[in-house]
Amino acid sequence: MTINDVAPPSGAAESVIEVRNLTKRYRDAVAVDDVSFSIHKNTIYGLLGRNGAGKTTVMSILTAQNFATSGDVRVFGEHPYENARVLRRMCFVRESQKYPDDAKPIHAFATAKLFFPNWNQELADRLIADFRLPVRTRIKKLSRGQLSAVGVIIGLASRAEVTFFDEPYLGLDAVARQIFYDRLLEDYTEHPRTVILSSHLIDEVSNLIERVLVIDRGQIIMDAATDDVRDQATAIVGDAAAVDAFVAGREVLHRESLGRVASVTIAGALSPDERSRLTAAGLDIGPVSLQQLIVRTTQHADDTDATASDTRTTTKGGRR
Amino acid sequence: MNRVGNVVRMQLVNRQTFIWVPLLVLGGTLAVTLMIWAMLPPAAVKYGGGAQAPMWYFFAVGIMGTTQTFPFSQAMSVTRREFFLGSLLTASLTSAILTVIFVIGGFIEQATNGWGVNGYFFYLDWIWSSGAVVAAALILFMTMTFFVTGFAIATIYKRFGPAILTIILVGLGLLLVGVMWLIGRLNAWGQVFGWIVTQGPEGLAIGLVITLVVLSGIAYGLLRRAIP
Repeated sequence: MTINDVAPPSGAAESVIEVRNLTKRYRDAVAVDDVSFSIHKNTIYGLLGRNGAGKTTVMSILTAQNFATSGDVRVFGEHPYENARVLRRMCFVRESQKYPDDAKPIHAFATAKLFFPNWNQELADRLIADFRLPVRTRIKKLSRGQLSAVGVIIGLASRAEVTFFDEPYLGLDAVARQIFYDRLLEDYTEHPRTVILSSHLIDEVSNLIERVLVIDRGQIIMDAATDDVRDQATAIVGDAAAVDAFVAGREVLHRESLGRVASVTIAGALSPDERSRLTAAGLDIGPVSLQQLIVRTTQHADDTDATASDTRTTTKGGRR
Repeated sequence: MNRVGNVVRMQLVNRQTFIWVPLLVLGGTLAVTLMIWAMLPPAAVKYGGGAQAPMWYFFAVGIMGTTQTFPFSQAMSVTRREFFLGSLLTASLTSAILTVIFVIGGFIEQATNGWGVNGYFFYLDWIWSSGAVVAAALILFMTMTFFVTGFAIATIYKRFGPAILTIILVGLGLLLVGVMWLIGRLNAWGQVFGWIVTQGPEGLAIGLVITLVVLSGIAYGLLRRAIP
């Protein structure tokens, strides 16, 4: 199950969301800091970053649930605020979604069916069975995982042209998470749409996402195709001594070893010459961990930003 | 407009909140009142105040409809305007159900001389003094005012938090006490009551409509910038 099995739909580079100089400032902190990016049509995005990096704030502003301090957001070429034409084509169930006090999952799904024009009841029923969700129990009595399942089912079955998933796996067990990833990919293949999946479990979603948007301290520090990100590094696996000899002089991003076997991730790709040296040394190329790469990039941004970001909140004015 | 209609259906998806509970409250208070009347001498005319009980419930519905259902409506990609209009429409519809019951109840009490025991639960003299239509309008607007008051309070809470809400409510209380003090100081209570009585139920109905419009305006203005 990799994303490479899915043929990229034609016109994949057409954008559905355009964000220009978006800033969200709270009284004492900058949650989103002058961010610009585009979201391509019919693509699965990973919106990755640490807790509090600004993921939920960005998604809330894109769906007009929250308000930008400054900057411009266009969805399908229009402003989403109070725009039913645009909003009905989007679905965003937040991680801490509130439901009416006495509502049951069955009520939530019946309502979603009213508002999402592409709602598919068959898919919803199948997911209810997959997640073993008790649909006639009050939502406030559900476990954390069952609560996440309600949001996941609304997100998938709504088949909205732009669907946001905000840390959808919270409380879900490994089986349920795999069901979510599998169903998402299956349904996406049959009904291509734009999916923005916020997550801090990077490796778990790395096979799913086609593009990564990494947000850190309110800034986009990476916006690239997942494959291109992986190509930025190479993992060399084999006998520890041979690996160390091979990577001498290269920038080492990550090192793991088990007994005499080591896996070392180095920056950059290998030249044809290096590849033959690799084979000659009896070494292999292993999978690059997206998580390691992103953690590395985030930490790097931290180091260079450490002093700049401390002054950032105070030097910029208190414009609302 | 279809989406506004869907907001009504969203609010009514669980009919308990808007329909069954208010009817239960009304039926319950009516039953209790009738039982008490049965214990009293039948000759004396008795009035029951229990009819206002479901109205107070609508105040709570107004609060819950905002704090709980508004965040959910946002997840359903509903605009704030659609949510506001749909919620107001839901309140109007359910208030209308209550009004119909009140008016029918009033007619029954007139026809049966107060359930045969001279007890009046729905047919309150002053409210009916200008006829059934004005009485119906009064009940409808009163119930909706309770709802919109709850709605407005909940939007203030959502936007500004508990401290500001408390300050506003205490401020309104102080204002009311101030007005009462002023009326007492001017020895004007007689004139004030005289004025209220001459306005009649029509005057109260008009006053309620003005209150409704003002509170709805405040609630909508605040809701437009509310964050779920």
